[in-house]
Amino acid sequence: MAAIRSGSTPQAVSRRRFLHAALVSGPLAPAALLAPRGVRHAWAQEAPKKGGTLRVGFYIEAATMDPHLSGSKIDRQVYHNIYEPLVVLDANLGVKPGLAESWQQPDAKTLVFKLRRGVKFHDGTDFNAEAVKFNFNRMKTEPKSVRKGEVASIDTVDVVDPYTVRLNLKRPDAALLATLTDRAGMMVSPKTAQERGAELERNAKGAGTGPFVFVEWVKDDHLLIRRNDAYWNKQGGPYLEQVRYRPIPDDTVKLQSLQAGEIQVMDYVQPRDVAAVKADKNVVVVDVPSLADFAYQLNHTKPPFDIKALRQAVAYSLDLEQIVKGVWLNVGVPANGPIPPTSWAYDRSIPFIKRDLAKARAKLAEGGKPGGFTFTMTTNNIPINVQEAEVMQAQLAEAGITMKIKLVDAGTLISDGNARNFEMISFQWSGRPDPDGNTYQFFHTTPGTSLNWSGISNPQMDALLDKSREISSQAERKKLFSQLTRLLQDELPMVFIVHPIEPKAFSPRVQNYDPIPDGMMRFKDVWLK
Amino acid sequence: MGRLLLRRLVATIPVLLLVTAGVFALIHLTPGDPIDAMMAESVDDTVKRELRRDLGLDRPLYLQYATWMGRLLQGDLGRSIRNREPVIENVGRRIKPSLQLAGLAMGIALLVATPIGILSAARRNSAVDRVGTSFALFGICMPNFLIALILIFVFGVKLRWLPISGYVDPLEEPLDGLRSLTLPAITLGLALAAVITRTLRSSMLEALSEDYIRTARAKGLSDGAVVRRHALKNALIPVVTVIGLQLGTLIGGAVITEYVFALPGVGRLVVDAVFARDYPLVQGVVLLIAVGFILSNLVVDLLYGWIDPRIRHR
Repeated sequence: MAAIRSGSTPQAVSRRRFLHAALVSGPLAPAALLAPRGVRHAWAQEAPKKGGTLRVGFYIEAATMDPHLSGSKIDRQVYHNIYEPLVVLDANLGVKPGLAESWQQPDAKTLVFKLRRGVKFHDGTDFNAEAVKFNFNRMKTEPKSVRKGEVASIDTVDVVDPYTVRLNLKRPDAALLATLTDRAGMMVSPKTAQERGAELERNAKGAGTGPFVFVEWVKDDHLLIRRNDAYWNKQGGPYLEQVRYRPIPDDTVKLQSLQAGEIQVMDYVQPRDVAAVKADKNVVVVDVPSLADFAYQLNHTKPPFDIKALRQAVAYSLDLEQIVKGVWLNVGVPANGPIPPTSWAYDRSIPFIKRDLAKARAKLAEGGKPGGFTFTMTTNNIPINVQEAEVMQAQLAEAGITMKIKLVDAGTLISDGNARNFEMISFQWSGRPDPDGNTYQFFHTTPGTSLNWSGISNPQMDALLDKSREISSQAERKKLFSQLTRLLQDELPMVFIVHPIEPKAFSPRVQNYDPIPDGMMRFKDVWLK
Repeated sequence: MGRLLLRRLVATIPVLLLVTAGVFALIHLTPGDPIDAMMAESVDDTVKRELRRDLGLDRPLYLQYATWMGRLLQGDLGRSIRNREPVIENVGRRIKPSLQLAGLAMGIALLVATPIGILSAARRNSAVDRVGTSFALFGICMPNFLIALILIFVFGVKLRWLPISGYVDPLEEPLDGLRSLTLPAITLGLALAAVITRTLRSSMLEALSEDYIRTARAKGLSDGAVVRRHALKNALIPVVTVIGLQLGTLIGGAVITEYVFALPGVGRLVVDAVFARDYPLVQGVVLLIAVGFILSNLVVDLLYGWIDPRIRHR
């Protein structure tokens, strides 16, 4: 029987723990420590004050208020304040009790949740095992559900008693628990979902259990949530009276809005602005280490990258340190593989591939192209991607490799990737809390795993990935992911570039923000000075 | 006048048909599709296949076009794929800020351009003319986004007189609404004023060199009366043409201004829809913008008749 997690309430991340997380994450440490103001800020010791409206600027408006139908990252920023998942993430990507106060795994194909008592949805109905069953069934059967893939390993859901629910799995799935920390674990009121139907997409009144209740969404203008005074967790907040989200698409204008006090929070600061913003006394920057993995997929199914030596030649020609310093302005760290330094599975002992032009030339000769070769790289037409492409182009040229750059919009990029219509293509993955989410779907041979754009099919890799889903011991899984990272550095379905940091900026009035590496802003314990 | 109107309206039918075919072909031939764009991070091919089938995206293009046209003839523009709301509702929400912005920008442009254009022409080569011409050149050369960012920096960040971004409806809250539209309207209005100034100046110069102006002066009319009653009215035709064309562009094409000031207008709607490959939305909005263009040109044509009776009787 696997370990049972005891059911304490989710705790805030202390400064010490945050610093520890930053320090143990190795290469991340210098960048994380660049933001002492941000960290101190998260550690404010004054007594929290109730009230006030927090105004938040996002780059785009939310798409839907129904977590089971949501395919957009920005929706989650709102959801994490009005809905709650069964389990929640902590700053080290550990899984902690959420709406479920504990869980057991009697065998690899069974997961039993003990649910928290006394929790009510905002519409006044009880949260219980029937509600959990309803939610999983809805995710699995609702025609427009975007969650089907995430809950695919769940076969049936049994209500054991009003506060115990058992998930019977089709196959062992060690990553499931971490998946349930986000939209796939978020519980919607069955009553509201049934009564409101499709209208739930626009109006989430009464639907959640979270620290804030949905008030209104004036499309193209703002989305408003208000404090839930009946919130079940009496420790800490919610303190804020309201949170008002607004879309401000232009990064420069969003930053100016923050500096002028029109908004108090912005979701992301571009690397180019980070230094300037950190020098501004009216803005507090918090570096949030992310789960992301920015890389380039190499097409194994056609020349030139069907030849392993040529893939390696490219990897040895690139200087990741220079790219991270020059393009990302150190708002990130060079990547040794797909797993970010924030993850428990990250192996610090594996260095990223260092530039070695002699080796690159040797690999070119081995691949039958001693004089170099020419290929095309497809990337998104946004400034930082273009800069990165140009730096790579110059670095590769020194090894005799000519890289042509093809700039496309996001829609075309995805279509080219899915159709394998590329030689090398940019891939920026936002990341998942469990390392499985950054690996399996990219490197496993399974028809239908459409993110394996490179077309890699390697029996050893498949076996490692399968095994990592079957065993539940974190230490054992970590060993498997280390082996996988080494294998990836040799086979190179992708060249890994950077694990970016996602800096967020706040007005100095905003207190007690706890950064979690999934980048979601949970405002439960936040208050305004 | 009635026949002119009818003739013009009939002539719009083939134009609209061409627009529907053009926009349909262009957006469908662009690589990528709405399901991929919407579910970039989902790996489940079955879900994507089902969604494509539900939306009819797996059918041949000519069938999709025929279905769309069939619905269109019944007045149904379809539903957005991204937010699943009727296209007409999406546009309805966005058209008000766009119209208000266009109106205000045009007002500012006319207020600035009319005196400068007339004075520049009436006092050709004087200091006034040189200043006016330089202003026009500056307005045409400066990109919108730069003017916008400078205005934001000065009036929003430094002086804090006006809000930096966002939209408040002036019909509901007049003062805050006007404040929210002032900077974007100045941004658009300056460039527009420059174009109108140049057109007005050159057509005024042409009119002022006509024989009937010399006659008017010879019979002892004052300078003001000559300019107002004789030159200006005859110089208006090209100016009205420019205004008509610009008004159409303002409503659907103020993308950059709307983007920078986070205004929920039609321009941003269509650009976001293109990036999301939201076919019904792109098709519907472009069609409506085309209708807007046609209508504003129709109004211009009717104005010609009012300004110059000879056109009416042709």
